[in-house]
Amino acid sequence: MLGLLTVITLCAIALLAPELAPHDPEAQDLMLTLQPVRLGSSHPLGTDGLGRCVLSRLLFGARMALTVAVTAAFGAMLLGSAMAYAAGYLGGWTDWLIGRAVDVWMSFPPVVLSLILMVGLGTGRTNVILAIILVDWTRFCRVLRSEVIVVARRDHVAAARLLGFSRWRTLLLEVVPATIPLLITLLALEMGIAVVVEAILSFIGLGVTADQVAWGQMIADGRDAIYQAPANLLAPCAAIFVAVAGFNLLGDGLRRTLDLRLVEGRG
Amino acid sequence: MSLLVARGLTVEALVEGETVPVLRGLNFALPPGRVLGLVGESGAGKSMVGRAIAQLLPPGFAVTEGSMAFDGTDLVAMPLGHRRALLGRDIAFIPQEPLTALNPVHTIGAQLAEHHRRLGVRGRRMLRDYALAALSAVFLPDPAGLLSRYPHQLSGGQCQRVLIAMAFAGHPKLVVADEPTTALDVTTQSPIVALMGALQRASNTAVLFITHDLRLAASVCDEVAVMYAGEIVEIGPAAQVLHAPRHPYTRCLQLSIPPMAGPRRALYSLPEQMPGLRALARMSGCRFAPRCPVRAEYCLRIEPPLEGDNHRSACLRPGLVPTIEVEATLPASPWRPAGQAPVLALDDISKSFATGAWPRRGRVDAVRGVSLRIAPGEFVAVVGESGSGKSTLGRLVVGLEQPDTGRIVLAGHDVTAGDEAARQHRIATVQMVFQDPQSALNPRRRVASIITQALEAQNAKFSVREKRARALLAEMGMPLELGLRTPAQLSGGQRQRVNIARALCSVPRLLVADEIVSGLDVSVQAQLLTLLNRLRQDHDFALLFISHDLSVVRHLCDRVLVMHQGEIVEEGPTETVFGWPRHEYTRTLLAAVPA
Repeated sequence: MLGLLTVITLCAIALLAPELAPHDPEAQDLMLTLQPVRLGSSHPLGTDGLGRCVLSRLLFGARMALTVAVTAAFGAMLLGSAMAYAAGYLGGWTDWLIGRAVDVWMSFPPVVLSLILMVGLGTGRTNVILAIILVDWTRFCRVLRSEVIVVARRDHVAAARLLGFSRWRTLLLEVVPATIPLLITLLALEMGIAVVVEAILSFIGLGVTADQVAWGQMIADGRDAIYQAPANLLAPCAAIFVAVAGFNLLGDGLRRTLDLRLVEGRG
Repeated sequence: MSLLVARGLTVEALVEGETVPVLRGLNFALPPGRVLGLVGESGAGKSMVGRAIAQLLPPGFAVTEGSMAFDGTDLVAMPLGHRRALLGRDIAFIPQEPLTALNPVHTIGAQLAEHHRRLGVRGRRMLRDYALAALSAVFLPDPAGLLSRYPHQLSGGQCQRVLIAMAFAGHPKLVVADEPTTALDVTTQSPIVALMGALQRASNTAVLFITHDLRLAASVCDEVAVMYAGEIVEIGPAAQVLHAPRHPYTRCLQLSIPPMAGPRRALYSLPEQMPGLRALARMSGCRFAPRCPVRAEYCLRIEPPLEGDNHRSACLRPGLVPTIEVEATLPASPWRPAGQAPVLALDDISKSFATGAWPRRGRVDAVRGVSLRIAPGEFVAVVGESGSGKSTLGRLVVGLEQPDTGRIVLAGHDVTAGDEAARQHRIATVQMVFQDPQSALNPRRRVASIITQALEAQNAKFSVREKRARALLAEMGMPLELGLRTPAQLSGGQRQRVNIARALCSVPRLLVADEIVSGLDVSVQAQLLTLLNRLRQDHDFALLFISHDLSVVRHLCDRVLVMHQGEIVEEGPTETVFGWPRHEYTRTLLAAVPA
C-alpha cells in the first residue's frame, strides 16, 4: 500500500514537473550559486554550483528516472519472458540454448556489461534504456523459466492439449495466466533496479546527455560542493532511495495479493 | 485405570472472527496395552485429537474445555517442560508421511542415535548397539548397512519401519499413529500393520490408531470410535461397530465401501458432504441429521447424548439403524462381449525412461511388451503398485508419452506415430481423467469454462458452451450455480466430478482414468462410483481404470489386468482373477486387502 502510494506520487510529480517546478531546471544564475536550503525562498532546496534550482532539477529528474524505469523494465520483461516461455514450455534444445545464453550473459558483472554497452552505443536516454534491457532480461528469463516449467507440468496443461488446444493456445490460456503474478512482481522490482542503474550510468557521465536532467548526474555535480551545499548531494540520493524503496514495496505487496498460492494459504 | 482419558475435550478455532468448536465434548478412555481406533472422514477432527495430545494445535486452535489425562495427569494443563519430557519417551508418534518425517540430510544411524540419546543412552558403542537392535526389531534387512544410508535411499515402507522403530525404542506407554499406512503401497501396508501389532503386544503399549479406513481399523483395533464433524458418534468393540453399527453414519459408511467378498452390490451414496467449520457454528441438534436417512424432525433440534453400555452411540433412533439399506440395485454391465472391433488395441508396447546423469546414465523400463484389447463399452482395470508402470500405460494410450516399440490402434486408426493426424484422431476418441484435481483443474477458470474446454478448442459459440455446461452439470448431479465458481471453491468430490465432466464433454469412446477415487473419502468415493455406473448406462464409453484399490475395481470393472514391474502378469474377468488368482503377485495383492 505504501509502495503503491509512493509510486503514484512519483508518477504524479514526473507528469506535473513543469507545473510544480519553481524554475527552469536548466536556467543558470551564476550570481546565486550554492545557495543553502531555505524553505519558503524561491530556491527551497538551494542551488547548485551553476546556480540551478535543486528542487526543479529534482522534479524534472523524476521524469527521467521514471521513463527509464518503466520502459526499460517493460523491455526487459518482454525480451526475458519471451525467452523464458520458449525455454520452459518447449524444453529440449531450445531450453538448453537459451539456458546457456543466460549463463554466459550473467557471467559478466552487470555494471561492467552496461558500461561496455554504453561506451559502444553512446550516451542518451534511448541508449540507457537499451543497455538496461540488454543486461537485465536474463533476470526475468531465469526466474520465469523455472515457474513456467512448474506450471507446464501441471495436469491441466496436459488436459488442455488432450482436449484439442494447439500449443500456442495452451501456452497463452493455461500457462501464461498462471505466471502473470510473478511477472508483475518482477516488473516492479526491475523498475527499482532500473532507477539505480540509470543513476549509476548518469553519475559516471555515460548516461544521459548533459542537457537532460538525471538524479545520477546531480549526485556527480553535488559531490564537488558537498561541504558547502550538502543538499545538492543528499536530495537526489534521497529521491533515488524513495523511488527504489517504493518499487520494492510495491513488488512485495503485489506478490502478496496476486500470488494464488499465498492467497489460498490464507484460507 | 486407563492410560489415556479424554473428558469432555473441546477444541475451538477462530474462523473469520467466529469461534467454532472443532472437537466437541470428546469422551474416551484407552486402557494400557489396548488399541483404540479413531475413524472418520477428512474434516471429522480425528487428527486434531493426536495434535491435542502433543499440544501441537494449529494457530488459532485451542483446548477450551475438558481434559486429556495421561497416566492421571492432565496433558493440557501440564507445564511445557513436563510435557516435553513425556513426548518421545512415554508418548511416541508415528506420522503419516514417512519420507517427510525423517530429516533428509542426516543418515538413519545419526537420527536413531539422536533419538536414543534423548532417551538417555550414552556412549558411541551403546548408541550403535541400540540403533542396530531397534532396526532388527522392525525386521529391516542389513541393519548395519542401513545406519549409513539417507532417507531418500530407502523405500516408503522402509522409512516407516525406521519411524516405528524410533517410536517403540523407548518402550512408550502410548503410541499415536496418524494414518501410518495411508501413504504406503497396498502390499507394504499389511506388513506394517502386522509389525505395529507385534511390537504393541510385545511391549504392552497402548495405541491410538487414527485412520479413515473403517475396515482397517476393525482389523487392527480392540475398540473403535467413529467421528463425525468433531464428535464421537459411536464407540465400541471393533467387530460390533463394523458389523452391527448403532449409528446411522457408521451404517452408511459401511454400506459405501465396496465389498471384496460376496455378491457385488450398489453402494450407499450419502448425500452432500460433512459440514465445514463455518456451517458447524450454526448447527443445532444432531450434526449428522441433515444427511441422515432415518432422521425425524426432532433430530434437528435435540442433541443426542452418547449412550449405551460398552457399545455407545449418539443417536436418538438407534433401532432404525439396521433398516438402512441400499435401495438402488447395481446396474447390469451393458458390455456385450460379442465380437466387435476393439476401441483400443495395444500390441507389444514398450517404454523406457532415461535415469541419472552421465556417466551413470541408465534406462528403466516402465512398460514392457504390453498387449491388450478393450471392447466398446467395456470397463477394464489395471491394478498394481506404484512403479508398476500402470500410469505410464495410461499416458501412452492418450498420447502424453510415445512408445519406444509396439503399436497403438484406437478405434481402427493406428495412432502409434503420434503425429498431428494421430492427435486429431485421439482428441475425438479418447480422453483422460487425471488423478489430482488440484493440479488438473486450472485454478483461474470457472467450472463452466473448464468442463466445456473441449468445445472451446473447437471455437464453439458461447451459447453452445453455456448449454453444454448446463447439461453436463446436471448430469454430474451438481447444482447449476456451481458453474460460476472456481475450483478452489469446490469440495474434493465436486472437483473430481468437474474433472470427469471435462473429459466427457465431447463424449469420447474411451476414457482413461488414473486413480480418480484414490485420495477421496469413502462416502465421496461411493458417490463417484455410482455416478460412473450411471454415466455408463447413458453413454456408451469404454473405461481404462487405473487403480490400486481392488475393492473399487471389483465394484466397477468387468475385466482386470494385473501389472507388475511393467508387465501384465495376469488378466481375466474381475471375479475370476480375484476369486482364483493364478499369479503369485496377484495373490500378494489380494492378501493385502484388510478383511
